[in-house]
Amino acid sequence: MVCLSIEGRQIEAPANCSILQAFVHAGETLVEGVGCMGQGVCGSCRVMVRRSGEQEVKTALACETLIEDGMQVAFLDYFTTSARHVYRIEDIGDSWQALHTIGEIFPEASHCRHCSGCDRACPKGLDVQRGVNLAVEGKLGASSEVFDECVMCNLCTLACPDHIRPNHLGLFVRRMIAALSLRPANLMRRIQQIESGEMTIDFDAPGAQPPR
Amino acid sequence: MPAGIPYEDAHKRYRPGVMPTVRSDDGSVDELLKGYHPDHGPNARVVLSVGVNRGEPCQPDLARYLQANALIDDVDIAGAQLVTTDVLVIGGGGGGCAAALIAAKQGTRVILATKLRLGDSNTVMAEGGIQAAVGDDDSPQLHFEDTLRAGHFCGVPELVAQMVMDGPDVIRWLIRLGMMFDLEEDRPIGGNLLRKKPGGASAARILSYRDYTGLEMMRVLREAVDLDPGIEVWNRCPVVELLSDEWGRCAGAVIYNLEWRTFVLVRARAVILATGGAGRLHLNSFPTSNHYGATADGLVLAYRIGARVRELDSFQYHPTGIAYPPHLAGGLISEAARSAGAKLINGKGERFVDELKPRDVVASAILRECAQGRGIEREGQIGVFLDTPTLEMEHPGILAKRLVTLRHLAHKCGHDAAQEPFLVYPTLHYQNGGVAIDKDGATSVPGLYCVGEVTGGFHGRNRLMGNALLDILSMGRRAGTKAAELGGRVMASRAGIGHVHAWQRELTLAGLPLHVKAPRLFPDYAHFDLRVDAGLHSSARG
Repeated sequence: MVCLSIEGRQIEAPANCSILQAFVHAGETLVEGVGCMGQGVCGSCRVMVRRSGEQEVKTALACETLIEDGMQVAFLDYFTTSARHVYRIEDIGDSWQALHTIGEIFPEASHCRHCSGCDRACPKGLDVQRGVNLAVEGKLGASSEVFDECVMCNLCTLACPDHIRPNHLGLFVRRMIAALSLRPANLMRRIQQIESGEMTIDFDAPGAQPPR
Repeated sequence: MPAGIPYEDAHKRYRPGVMPTVRSDDGSVDELLKGYHPDHGPNARVVLSVGVNRGEPCQPDLARYLQANALIDDVDIAGAQLVTTDVLVIGGGGGGCAAALIAAKQGTRVILATKLRLGDSNTVMAEGGIQAAVGDDDSPQLHFEDTLRAGHFCGVPELVAQMVMDGPDVIRWLIRLGMMFDLEEDRPIGGNLLRKKPGGASAARILSYRDYTGLEMMRVLREAVDLDPGIEVWNRCPVVELLSDEWGRCAGAVIYNLEWRTFVLVRARAVILATGGAGRLHLNSFPTSNHYGATADGLVLAYRIGARVRELDSFQYHPTGIAYPPHLAGGLISEAARSAGAKLINGKGERFVDELKPRDVVASAILRECAQGRGIEREGQIGVFLDTPTLEMEHPGILAKRLVTLRHLAHKCGHDAAQEPFLVYPTLHYQNGGVAIDKDGATSVPGLYCVGEVTGGFHGRNRLMGNALLDILSMGRRAGTKAAELGGRVMASRAGIGHVHAWQRELTLAGLPLHVKAPRLFPDYAHFDLRVDAGLHSSARG
């Protein structure tokens, strides 16, 4: 058994448990800060972790982090910041204005003080700060790649002293690229065939009947 | 279950890169399903004794909750805050978000209430992709026929036809919202969408974004909903009961706010249930790949208020759940691995099924191998090998480039996917049936709409990979459109929980216990009791 403290409570759980599993195993109530329960894609189970013998407190996803003896864990509640810049991706028409648009929607992005707080906060090990800087420089493709595996846990947004909201900036860049430039030939052709009535469904086709 | 072949022995026999012998198939598909699929056998179903579907079959564990008493009574919600809106969407996954976005776009007021946090859903966990027939060698007709056939011709042809015809437009809608898709080559304008072939389909039809399509989809939909001024998002607000009026219409819902520990009554012209499936009820004691909130809440409430349901004795067990290590058991290994060519191997080093057959067939074949002693046993966990090392040898770099999630997963399991095979066993993945709906998502109860996994009729008795993501968006957009069009005043009728009292009489007459309560809201191991949490006295009737 491994002994650790979660939310200030001493807990015992079998080795090879994730933090979430250990919490549940100990009979605690778990109705928030949980989602995909192990896949590591929903970004809900944000925790602060201090390992035995270490000074530094690190951020992590509780479903992906295995428990250790002497570990101290505290959940970080989800949060929503009220003041923010709203956009509709459909309203962004002119890609020549991309830098201007980024400046308008994310005015703080150019104020990055290169503290790397976002990088340290990211549980996925993404180069968040570089992604922010690339976006501001107009290197949108490279910026979007940085955020490719982002799970939107908002830990970088929480960490940024300049209120940049890096993950939301990264997502904005990605959405802009897709919405303004992705025009696949096979998709456009098929939509045309369906809209013109050239392709329909035959309910009586032999393949649509159960075998006798 | 007979003991399997010890892992060490099986591992010694396993030779990456060598084509394994194929075990000859000694029976028909029908015999395989009847013999080994959990939907079959003497304990696979019971007959419902109350409600619209009285006399019809249902999976036994689910039936217990479908025929349960309500969590609350009149007295618990007396004096609760009342809020009105045009459309109330319940559920924060892909289907709920699509419905909310479309309804809000038409100028209606929308509240989206979700039990966990916006986006926490099975959608975000979807890996493989979404089906849409865009290839030259493909057509909506083939998609239509594949879907019906895979569902054993139990799906509703009109619903399936509408879904497959919506497919390409759904993809365009997603791209307009800013979702990326894999391309054949890196040429965004005029290139082709990359297509992969799902098990059980006659053409390559899976469109994807790497092997985390659902994550890419959900982060785009979540952001769009979050930024839409017409949508109010209520996180941590599960629905505990629906409201009915004197004409039996659905008139809103009772929401429980987990933060404030209070009930809120929401009156709405239309309620759209997009609450997902039932995996976290661990039916038939299976592990599950589902997210934490998948406890069939919407299904239970829809049935109680009088909505017809269908195919609730049919569930999908995904063939490749993780079997080892135990702490990840039930987690999913995407069909993308088999789609790319990975093979399944039993403890004797043999292939035993065509890995690209429909999921029910492949899962049954794995269960057969384990039942007949050819499974592989490791520290009490049983399963078969998913041969990723050979896949990597045949397609160098595929794990790093195309199967990113798979590679991460192997790391979490403590091995390198290029060196060691996974141990896999079927995992409860999807609720094939659900609430019966029409082409607008309308149920048999006026004012009540359903979207996504909570519904039945698309997938018959077995679902194809990639059809769930299509179904939620196709129907989500349609239900959102229809709900926004409904006229009339929100408060034109009296609303309450009259249907609950009628239900309690029915339960008593049928001799069913009143102390079993549902919806469950959270899995048993969440250690949550609504009545304790809300500070309510236990019900006198209970």
